[in-house]
Amino acid sequence: MHMKQHMRRRALVAGALTTATVVALTGCGAGGGDSAGPTEITFSYLWGGEEAKVLEEIIADFNGSQDEIVVKGVSSPDTQKQLTSMSSSNGSFDISDNFGNTVGAWASKGILAPLDDAIAAEGIDVDDFVPSAMEQMTYDGKIYSLPIAIHSFQLLYNTQLLEEAGVTPPTTMDELAQAIQKLTKVDDSGKITQLGLGSANDSTTLTTLGYAFGGTWDGEDGPTPADAGNLEALQWYQDNVIEPVGAEAMATFVSGQGEYLSAQDPFFSGKVAMIIDGEWRSASAAKIAPDFEWGVTAIPAASADLENSTQVTASTLFIPANSKHKEEAATFLAYLVSEKPMEKFAVALGNLAGRTSLSDSAAFADLQDFDVWAAAASSPNAKSLSSLPYSAEYATDLATAFDEVVRLTATPEEAIATVEERMANYSTK
Amino acid sequence: MTSASALRVRRENTPAGPGGRARRRRSRRSTLIGLAFASPFIVGFLFLFAYPIAASAYYSFTDFNLFQSPEWVGLANYVQMFNDGVFWKSLANTAVLTIFGVPLAIGIALAGAHLLNTPVRGQPLYRALVYLPSIVPVVVGGYLWRWLLNAQYGFVNHFLSWFGIEGPAWLQQPEWTKPAIILMSLWTVGGTMIIYLAALQEVPQELYEAAELDGAGVWRRFTNVTWPTVSPVTLFQVIVSIIGFLQIFTQPYILSQERLNQAGSGPGQSMLSYAMYLYQNAFVFLKMGYASAMAWTLFIVTLIVSLIVLATSKKWVHDGAR
Repeated sequence: MHMKQHMRRRALVAGALTTATVVALTGCGAGGGDSAGPTEITFSYLWGGEEAKVLEEIIADFNGSQDEIVVKGVSSPDTQKQLTSMSSSNGSFDISDNFGNTVGAWASKGILAPLDDAIAAEGIDVDDFVPSAMEQMTYDGKIYSLPIAIHSFQLLYNTQLLEEAGVTPPTTMDELAQAIQKLTKVDDSGKITQLGLGSANDSTTLTTLGYAFGGTWDGEDGPTPADAGNLEALQWYQDNVIEPVGAEAMATFVSGQGEYLSAQDPFFSGKVAMIIDGEWRSASAAKIAPDFEWGVTAIPAASADLENSTQVTASTLFIPANSKHKEEAATFLAYLVSEKPMEKFAVALGNLAGRTSLSDSAAFADLQDFDVWAAAASSPNAKSLSSLPYSAEYATDLATAFDEVVRLTATPEEAIATVEERMANYSTK
Repeated sequence: MTSASALRVRRENTPAGPGGRARRRRSRRSTLIGLAFASPFIVGFLFLFAYPIAASAYYSFTDFNLFQSPEWVGLANYVQMFNDGVFWKSLANTAVLTIFGVPLAIGIALAGAHLLNTPVRGQPLYRALVYLPSIVPVVVGGYLWRWLLNAQYGFVNHFLSWFGIEGPAWLQQPEWTKPAIILMSLWTVGGTMIIYLAALQEVPQELYEAAELDGAGVWRRFTNVTWPTVSPVTLFQVIVSIIGFLQIFTQPYILSQERLNQAGSGPGQSMLSYAMYLYQNAFVFLKMGYASAMAWTLFIVTLIVSLIVLATSKKWVHDGAR
């Protein structure tokens, strides 16, 4: 009997030790305070480097401003880890960020906490946020995210190259086509030495051009990749950007171009005369290529009613459904998207602020031509890709189709037909 | 008296005193202690292997997005796979990489091992150098190769230009992306080479001497002496390489990446490997059910290919060495 008792005691000790280890290993991540002290919440953000530094300043400002909540900032640029944390019942953070196009997919699966009650309780004025961005924040009639910064796309040009070629910044698609022709240079062996219109990212350039031709990528009942405007844009791109130089020469040129936003970036180094890109170019040009002379203008419109067409994307903040401190997280979220912190953050990143009331703020005055992007973001022709359960699949299929268009291996109709075929299997929840 | 009844008699004759109980207790105790010592493995095996395997088998028959309860859909995921063009594309890409990659890796490793086995000055240094790339993290190697393969600034094309060859746009032309991935995979062939080197050193020297006396040339010595001895190692390497290429992920993932944290697939989806498409479905599209079905299909394909190789090995793996 004695032996049995001994064994049982040993088993109990072993069990207790195991439990203690498990608790110690898993429990240390759980924040929270008791009734006596402030509640600790974790803000896990994808930003790093300079951007993270500014964010930490904003967190310190918030922590100093009150004594109910302590925010702990964690820079974790791993989206995979972010997702894993949200899939368990006990998450590792209470507030985080991502891009607007993920909102629908995550909201539909119950990953994100709806914010409507918090917005009302905190008195956040939703009408002040950029309308096209707010469309992405909403799923099934509820708001799941708020934009801290937004992005719009415009046509940038190299002032010197345009002057040399006697080209004025284009205002219509025909003028843009002529400008591309004059600014593209090919040597005797067929190698491109200078490209008229470059692309930082084919997918964004082509979806934005789709809007500029009056197209739309989403409808009431799902994706509309074969919209006439979209097909017209893709055809225009094949005819005016790729065909004149050939797909192979283009591939070689793209392969040899330097890293994006580095000193070797083809736009900054003068290898590309014009490019469609976002407002962060203004801040990075000042940092990376301070002597570089450039200008920015609205993306040419295919017709007068399409003036100031652009695409808006958003950097958003959200509270995961598994957060244990949703109320406190909402208080901090309200602080982050309030005017001063939002402005500080946007200026540091060289991004547009999520609020329209900040669009003419003097804080952005040092950034060259920033107002051109800001004006476009609030234009009625500013559109954004909708955020629905299938957004990631749709974006991937569009990227594949655009790749075929750019390599001239398919006509726009053929490439888009493949996307339409695949739409049948998209996630609906 | 049968042995069973003899046993019974012996048991019955044992006095039912404290001694017998003590023995039983002792044996139970040693079983428990044994299990306690093995428990880290047992717990690890159950939670880290058995449970995930069983769960993925179940998920492969469900519509599951990681966050909501899985919904039973029967064979729908497997049926969808057969009608999914991108699935077939990724399988074909992986097959091409395996068919060309494995023989190249084995051939280069075997040839390299011969060179490393030659008594020359600085031999240990050469052996260390060929192994060096294997200790570079594959992600770091990936970014290095992106730069090496750059059509304009990359060293590979610069090297080719010394011979008057104009190198291709490796990562932008679909026909060149797979050679680029294989090239990058072969960079770490040093590991296989070192194993071959160990095998080569096992070959009895007197066999070479005897073969030489019989007038055997280099090729005869290789086919009749070296190959039979290294063939079991080759069988192991072939199977390991096949599994490695069928699961290839990091190399194409990094070479096809346009921006950090973005899933690409290369021009014309030429770099989309099976594992990449599986990853995309699981963690980008959140279709865990479909991804699980893909994982099981890959497992079955790998099993079949490995069994075929094992079956043919009877013909080419030297019996005496086994």
